[in-house]
Parts: sequence; structure tokens; C-alpha cells
Amino acid sequence: MQRRSFFVAALATTFLTTPAFAADVPAGVTLAEDQSFTYRILDEFSSFDPQIVEDTYGSDIVRDLFEGLYNQDADGNIVPGVALSHEASADNLTYTFTLRDNAVWSDGTPVTAGDFVYAWQRAVDPELASPYAWYMELMAIENGAAIVAGEMEPSELGVSAPDDRTLVVNLSKPLPYFTKMVTHATTFPSPKWVIEEHGAQWTRPENMVSNGAFVLEEHVPKERSVRVRNENYWDNENTVLEKVTTLVIGDDAQGLTRWRAGEVDMTDIPAGQYPALAEEFPDEAFALPRLCNYYFNFNLASGPEAFQDVRVRQALALAVDREVIVERVLQGGQFPAFNFTPAATADFEMPDIEMASMTQAERDEKARELLAEAGYGEGGEPLSFKYLYNTNEAHQQVAIVATQMWKQKLGIDVTLENQEWKVFLETRSAQNYDMARGAWCGDYNEASTFLDLLTTESGYNDAKFSNARVDELMAEAKSSSDPQPLYTEVEQIVAAEMPVIPIYHYSTNVMLSDAIQGWPMNNVEQNWYSKDLYRVAD
Amino acid sequence: MILSAARRRLQSRAFADERAPEMIASRSFWADAGRRFLNNRMAVFSVGMLSLLILFSIFGNLFSRWSFEEIDWNVLGRIKEDGGPSLENGHWFGVDELGRDLYARVVQGTRTSLLVGFIAGPVSVMLGAMLGALAGYYGGRLDRTVLAAYTIWLAIPYIIFFVVWQAFFGRSMSQMILVIILVNWTAGLLIVRGQVMMLKNREFVDAARMLGMSDFKIIFRHLAPNVLWVVVIYTSIVIPEVIMMESLVSFLGVGIQEPNTSIGALLSQGASTMTFGTLWQLGFPAAIFVIAQVSLFYIGDGLRDALDPKER
Amino acid sequence: MFNYTLRRLLMVLPTLLILVIFAFYLMRLAPGGPFTSERPLPPAVMANVLERYGMDEPLHVQLWTYVSNILCCFDFGPSFSQKDRTVNDVIAQGFPVTLTYGFWSAVFVLVLGIPLGIIAALRHNGFWDYTMTGLAIFSQIFPNFVLAPLLVLLFTLSWGLLPGGGWNGGQWEYVVMPAIALGTSYMASVARLTRGSMLEVLNSPYIRTARAKGLPERTIIIRHALKPALLPTLTYMGPVFVYMITGSVFVDVFFSTGGIGQDFINGAYSRDYAILLGLAILYAVLTFALTLMVDLLYAWIDPKVRAGLS
Repeated sequence: MQRRSFFVAALATTFLTTPAFAADVPAGVTLAEDQSFTYRILDEFSSFDPQIVEDTYGSDIVRDLFEGLYNQDADGNIVPGVALSHEASADNLTYTFTLRDNAVWSDGTPVTAGDFVYAWQRAVDPELASPYAWYMELMAIENGAAIVAGEMEPSELGVSAPDDRTLVVNLSKPLPYFTKMVTHATTFPSPKWVIEEHGAQWTRPENMVSNGAFVLEEHVPKERSVRVRNENYWDNENTVLEKVTTLVIGDDAQGLTRWRAGEVDMTDIPAGQYPALAEEFPDEAFALPRLCNYYFNFNLASGPEAFQDVRVRQALALAVDREVIVERVLQGGQFPAFNFTPAATADFEMPDIEMASMTQAERDEKARELLAEAGYGEGGEPLSFKYLYNTNEAHQQVAIVATQMWKQKLGIDVTLENQEWKVFLETRSAQNYDMARGAWCGDYNEASTFLDLLTTESGYNDAKFSNARVDELMAEAKSSSDPQPLYTEVEQIVAAEMPVIPIYHYSTNVMLSDAIQGWPMNNVEQNWYSKDLYRVAD
Repeated sequence: MILSAARRRLQSRAFADERAPEMIASRSFWADAGRRFLNNRMAVFSVGMLSLLILFSIFGNLFSRWSFEEIDWNVLGRIKEDGGPSLENGHWFGVDELGRDLYARVVQGTRTSLLVGFIAGPVSVMLGAMLGALAGYYGGRLDRTVLAAYTIWLAIPYIIFFVVWQAFFGRSMSQMILVIILVNWTAGLLIVRGQVMMLKNREFVDAARMLGMSDFKIIFRHLAPNVLWVVVIYTSIVIPEVIMMESLVSFLGVGIQEPNTSIGALLSQGASTMTFGTLWQLGFPAAIFVIAQVSLFYIGDGLRDALDPKER
Repeated sequence: MFNYTLRRLLMVLPTLLILVIFAFYLMRLAPGGPFTSERPLPPAVMANVLERYGMDEPLHVQLWTYVSNILCCFDFGPSFSQKDRTVNDVIAQGFPVTLTYGFWSAVFVLVLGIPLGIIAALRHNGFWDYTMTGLAIFSQIFPNFVLAPLLVLLFTLSWGLLPGGGWNGGQWEYVVMPAIALGTSYMASVARLTRGSMLEVLNSPYIRTARAKGLPERTIIIRHALKPALLPTLTYMGPVFVYMITGSVFVDVFFSTGGIGQDFINGAYSRDYAILLGLAILYAVLTFALTLMVDLLYAWIDPKVRAGLS
């Protein structure tokens, strides 16, 4: 409903309907004396620098330390951050954001539109060479790509600050989901004067100046980082937590043991342990949907000859019993998948796909028919290929179970091949495989972040699938006011052509102490803000 | 003057008589050693245990109702409740996390691990011991070069080494054994070198040298028996290390490939779920590991006693 | 002796140079680079990143830059994976951690392992011998990935005595479990080696001569047997000590100590060339120092070795 307003009332200013989001403590709840939250992460994050950070753990921290134009609420909708509202031009190529006047940095300096201009120019500057410069390209900001390529100066980026309260962004093509993208860490402001004074050392706790609800107090790499309430934050009075601690614990089972010991409030659940823990701690074990999919790539460029036959691809897809994989192997509330885009994606309507409505017995039957028709399997030419995955317990389990299903149902002989992570990435992107696992997590909450992968030009199209109609539809969707029918058609083409076999859509499995409240359970991007959390007394 | 006096003393009858026992010991050495070993009951028993283990790894499959790779769909998803050891459904050792028969997997894994452990372990130690003996005996520039190579080799990031190896030579059992030997050849080098450095100046070596024995003969006939005890103990320390290293090498894509397995892989899988109520997944592979270790310990000990040139 | 030490020291620089060259090219042979990721970087972004880290230059130029930066300014370069930090930062922060728990682990290994081995040798095939054997086997079959969870289950979860992990500047309660988990299997090896070499020494002609002379057993053991018997153990401990004070990946990851043990492994997985080279050099220097120390120990204990070295 909110999205539509961008297009209907194109010239009118869009005021976000929801008020700024903050810890929403219901009446009658007794807050704990000690307002601290300690959570566990798997490994050290890449950086505290908003323009450089490239991993989820780092982004979670950066979202606490810095505040961008917009934030997300508990359901993943955008709510005001430093910006109060925005206005889009009729052609949707120019966005004008109005900034609040009470936002200040932790050293007392006001947050201005110029801080955003500086940060955005910095993100694409070849000198900083941020790996996340591609995100600015994805946002289609004018001249972004040329600056990254070194053909233009960073100052020519299509972003400007006519005054301290106004930020104007020019896009090279209309993007229906542009405003959703400014909740991402790469777009957060950065303090020019601090960076110029301290250089690369500016993210040290003693140097750092930030504008979020928290400031960095301590950082012991690979052990802990501590952030505390920012007294200068404009909405400081609504922040409840005093202190947030991130502990690095590299072992899932050990993370759980320390959660049991009360040393951390939150930890990931070790693979396969969700059902047992949900029984033991019904109020503290969670399986939350997440914007990620899991699939098998066929190598259509240089894989086995048999994969060129769509009936073989269909047969293999049909014979995988996703219920078994999801409910008896992974057991973490994942969703069996027959299409590419996760159902949890905002405004995405699941397409009708024949396979999804069949029973597994029917699927197996059809798989055998199709394979026989194609002349392979029992009675036909024997079919064998290699399945490539990177070494990891969960990937290995999925691989073993799927290949056993093919072997038992279709008589197909699959050899497993595991490789170390980076070797795997190289092998897969060089199409040196028959079939390989793939997975993708959305960059933003909209179907194109997934479906773009199946276009000919996509850098992550490891199956080397190329379909002119899909390319056309996805190009059209970029500027369409109602892209859903286009997405449905793409999904149907994919279901018919089956360049990849969708297996499941992810969920996040976490243990979260019931003392911590306010967690955004329905935010499928799992973008959380410590300022929305609070700790209740036992 | 002094030198010729020393030579005269070394060539004297009295000196030869005095040193005779040590030299004779090294001559009729192997026959005695065999007899002494057979007299050691624990060692002989351990050889029996180890033989049983080898037989188990070869013929254990005959008693298995499941293959090591098929999934028992009836227990998949209910491992903790229904996956334990059972006579009814034929899973003597229970099942692994994916409902595969643990007995069959342990049999298969034992075969892999024994092969890797008993080839790669002793060969690595032998290589290291040989180089160590040469370095210790000759000293000087050879010694410094060997030590430099040793230092460099220890400091090389071995994971990268495995990854590069995999990229160039691919995956197989023999590749795996080869890389494990390559990474472990430094085992035992320093300790043998130290022993040789001490022994080479003993009188019985001087005597042998004066009698015109070649360096080669001195090292293998006179020094080797005196450092064998180190080699034996060291080998029995290195074998379990190598068995564990195999699972890392396989993890990196050089070694064996699922559905094949090894004791190292089974142990680390079992350990990762040990706090979740499926202890049999750790227990059975661990039991095999214990049997192998205990046997090795006593065999090593028996060999040490038997090979001691000073024992009568 | 002085000459010998000098000659060994002269080998340090050439050895390190060979190590750097060898490791440098070996790493570049490994598929994937520090910036290979699930989401492939667009070519223009990749070009910028490579340029920033000087990786657009030919390999031998990069190698030269690396070596000259070390020689001129002791600068080991920026880390590729921990983007806000340099290799110097990483080692300066993580090495004291592993040095601390590694040192205490070594103390634990020697203080328990050596007496166990000696007692077992003195009571060859007696009760203590079998007890020691049992203990040694027990601690060797509990690889650290089994032992560590057990320790945490007991000391943290059941008894609440020790924190389950973290470092906190190295207070003792954070050091205990890492040190034990790291040292236990080495303790077993040390006990076995000590027992073996003690038996060896006790059987040697000169101890027999001493016994024949009627010297009291205690004097024989302390004055004559102990020193030579400890040499193999100490030789063994040399490289093990280097390994311990540079930490183990398992201990670092499991107990979240923040040490450099995990950087050896993570550096390899993330192809963080700078970290890997820096750590390789550190490791080599430590190995050099320890092997030299062990050699000097030999010379100090055994006059004949001293004569042989000079």
C-alpha cells in the first residue's frame, strides 16, 4: 500500500505513515535493572566502517552505531531515520529527501545532508575501493558506475546537498524499490572530519564518531565488541538498552552451551537441533523466515549432454523429496521450494506451479516417465554425474540425501565432490562442474533481487541459463509500476525450463532469551536495531 | 702427539675388549629382539588386538545388514529417539545423523584410517629420522641446511599447501597419503638428530670409525639401534595424529569423499553432537580409536624394550 | 660455542627469505583470492580493490614491495579480511593471548608429564607404570575437540566455576580451560617420551657402573640420569612449545580467546595472504629460536656435544 503511493502521488511528498520506531515497552512490563543485551556471532566481522562493511554481523553493528536516511520497523517497512520524508519526481529519476534538524553526531556536530553526500561519494571512490561499491551501482545513482570504473571524479556522483536539510539524489533509471535500499549500511553517513583526522584508524573506539543510537566503547577483535547508549542520539530518551555486547564464538554447540549457562542472550541453533530445543524451550527457540533460497545449478554451458534435455532436468527436480530434506534432515522450519523467490518476499505473490500441487508419489511417477521418455535411467542409457558442494555439514547432508533419492528412485549414479570454499567458488564460476549447489540471500526486500540472477548477464548465473523472454521481462520490471505479473511469468518460465532445482527457502534458527523483548520477528531481512529492544525483569 | 696417543689407545686390544659388548649387541641384534618381543605378554596381546581390528575392517561388512551409504528412511528425522544401537533393525552401532548404519560406516572408516595411519605415520617418521640422523652425524653445513628446511617447512601454511595440491593433483587415497607424508616428514627429525649428536661422540662410535667402518655402516649398524626406541615411540605418537589429520585433508578436498568415511571424520561428527543426546555416534568410533591406540602403545613399548641394544 | 651460535644466526635471514618466496608463490597458486566471494565483485570494483592492495602489479613486484616494506619499516601490510587492521595490529593483539595460554599449557604439560614419565620408568611394569599408561592413553584418546566440550560442560554448565569462554585481558579463570584443552594430549606424549628415555638411560653402561659402585639410587637418578634423560623430551617440546604459544585454532575458536591460532586457519580459508605471510615469518623465527635453544641445552648438558659443535 505504501509502495503504490510512490507512483500514484508521484509529485507529492511521501510522509512515512508510521512514526519513528523505538523500543515499544507495553504498560505493566517491569524492566530489568540491568539493561544489557549480549549476543553471539560466529566469526569476526569485516569492519565498522559503513562504506566498507560487507557482512551481516558487521552490518548489524553498523546499524546500531550509525543511522541512515530510513530505518526498518519490526515488519521490515521503512520508517524515518535521519530523513523525515522524501519526494520523487514524475519520472521517478530524482528523489529529494528532507532531513530532520535534531540529528547530531556523538561529538555534538549536527548531521547534515553533506555528510550523506560525502559518504556516498566515498562509497564509490576508487581510492577507498570498497567491495560494496557495487551496491551504489545497484541503486542506479547517476554516474556511479563511471566513477567506480575510474572514468569520472567522485564529486560527479548524482547526489547533492542544496542545504543542510535537503538531499537530492539523481538516478540513471527509475527504481521502484529505491527508498527501500537506503536502509542499507553502505548508504549511512560518515563523519568527514574524523576520517580526515585519523585515516584508516577512525573506526577505533577512541576515535570513532557516529550518529546512531549507540556508540562503540570497546573492541577486542575476535573476542568481543561493546557498544553503549549514545547520549547525543536524537531519540535517546526512547532507547532502553544501556549496553550491547557482541561475543565471537566460533562453534555452534559451544554457543548453545554458553547460552544455557546464561552467558549470552542469543545464539544460533546448531544444525538439526531446532525440534529438540523448541520442545525444551518453547518460548525461546525461534525459526524465522529469511530472504534466502537454496537450489541446485545444472551446468547448461558445459555440463553432461543429458542436462540439455529439459525432461531430464524436470525428472531430477521432481524426484527430490523436499519434505524429507526440510522436515527430517534440516528440521529448522525451512520451507520446501518449487519456485525461485521466497514467499516471504514483500509484495510477492507465489506463482501457480504444477509441481507444487502434486503429491510426492505423483512427482516420483512423473519423474520416472520423463526420464524414460528422454531415454535415460533404468532401461535406457545410464546417467551419472558429479554433484559439487563446498565442505559444510548442512550442504553435505542435503547432497547425500538428494543423491540417495535419485539413486533409489531413478537409478542415477551421482558422485559427490566437496571442495574448500574458495576453490568451490572458482570451480563453480568457471563452470567446471556438472551440478553444483547455489544459494542467494536478497540484497533488498523485492523479488527482482532473486529473479535477476536468472538473466543472461547476471554475474551469479552459474547455470549459464539464457532465455530472451526472461531477460526482457526483468528489464521491463525495473521500471514497471506493477511488476508482479512479470515476475509470475518469469517464475513460470523457470519452472518449465528448470535451469536450477529450487530446494528450500531459508529460515533463521535462534535461541533468544525470553528476557529480551522487542525483537523484529517478522522482519524477513533480519535487520534489527538494538534501540528497539529491552530487557524485562525475571 | 696427543692425536697419535689417542689413536694408539683406540687401536689397542684393551679398548676393543672393553667396547666389545656394545658392538656384539648390535650384531646378533635382530634375532634377540624378536625373542624378547615375543616374551612380552602385553605386546603380543596388543598385536592380537590390532590384527582383530584389521580383520574387522576387512571382513566386518559380512555381519552388516546395511551398506555404509544407504539411508534408513524410517529413522531419518528421529535419530535421537530411534537411531540408537538396536538389534531389531540391524543397526548394531546405531545410525549417524543422516540415518546411515554406523556399524557399516565404522567398518569402512576403520579401513581408511588404518591404511592412512599405518602407511603415512611410519613413513613420515622414517623420513624425518633418516634426515635427522644424517644431520646429527655430519653436523656443519648439512645440519644447518636441514634445520633451515625444517624451519621453513613448519612455517608453511599447510592448509594452503593442501588446497594447492588438490587443485593440481585432484583427489584420491594415494594423493592423501602422499600429502600427509609430505607435511609430516619433519616428525621425529629433531629428536633423532639430538640423540645422534650425543651418541656420535661415544667411544663405541669412535672405535668403529677407527676400525675403518664407513659412515653409512656406522649410522645403520651402530647408531640406528640406539635411536630406534625414539623412532618407535614417536611413530606410535604420530599414527593417531595422522589419523586425525586425514579428516582435515579430506575436508579440504584432497582425501576421501562422502559417502566414504574415516575414523577421524566419524569422531569429529560424533563430537559435534555429543551434547545433544546421540553419544553412540561418538562412542563407537572412539572405542575403535582407543583399541588402536592402546595396542599401539603396548606394541611400541614392547618394541622399545626388545630393540634396546643394552638388554640381554 | 660462540662461533656455532653465530653461524646458526647467520642462517636466519636467508631462511626467512626462502620461506617468504616459497610461501608467497604457493599461496598465489591456490585457487580463489582474498576477494573471491559468493557474490562475485563486478570487474570495475574488483580492479579498484586489487589496485588498493597493490595486487594489480606483477607477482615479483608485489613480492619485492612486501619484502622491502618489512626491511625498511617493519610493515607487514594490511589485512585483507579484517579490513580496519594491519597484520602488525592483528599479531600485536592476538600473540600475547596465545603466548599466555600456550605458556601455561606448556607448564602444565611439563609439570605433569615429566614426573609421570619418570615415576613410570622407575617402577617399570609396576603399578605406577600402568597408571601412567592409563592416564597417557586416556588423555591421548580425548582429542581437544572432545575434551573441550567436556570441560565446559563440567566447569561452566554443571559447577559454574569458570566462564565458558572469552579472554577478558587474560585473567586466570579464562586461561585454565584453554591451557588444559591444548596441553592434555601433549602431556601424554611427554610422559611417554620421558619414560622411554629414562628407561634408556637407566640401562646404559655408565648408570650400571654407578650402581655397581654402590651410589645411592636417589643420587644416581638426580645427579646422573635425569639430565640426559630429559633431553629427548625437551627436544620434543621445542617445536611443540612454538605450536602452543602461537595457539591452536580449535582452542581459539572454541573458547573465543581472540588469539592468533585461528588466524593461521582463517587466513588460509579467506586467502588473507598478508596475515598468512606475517604468521609464517613469526612461526619461523620462533622455531629458529627454540631449536637453537635446545641445541645449546645439549651442549650445556653434554660436554661431548659441546666439543662436537665447536
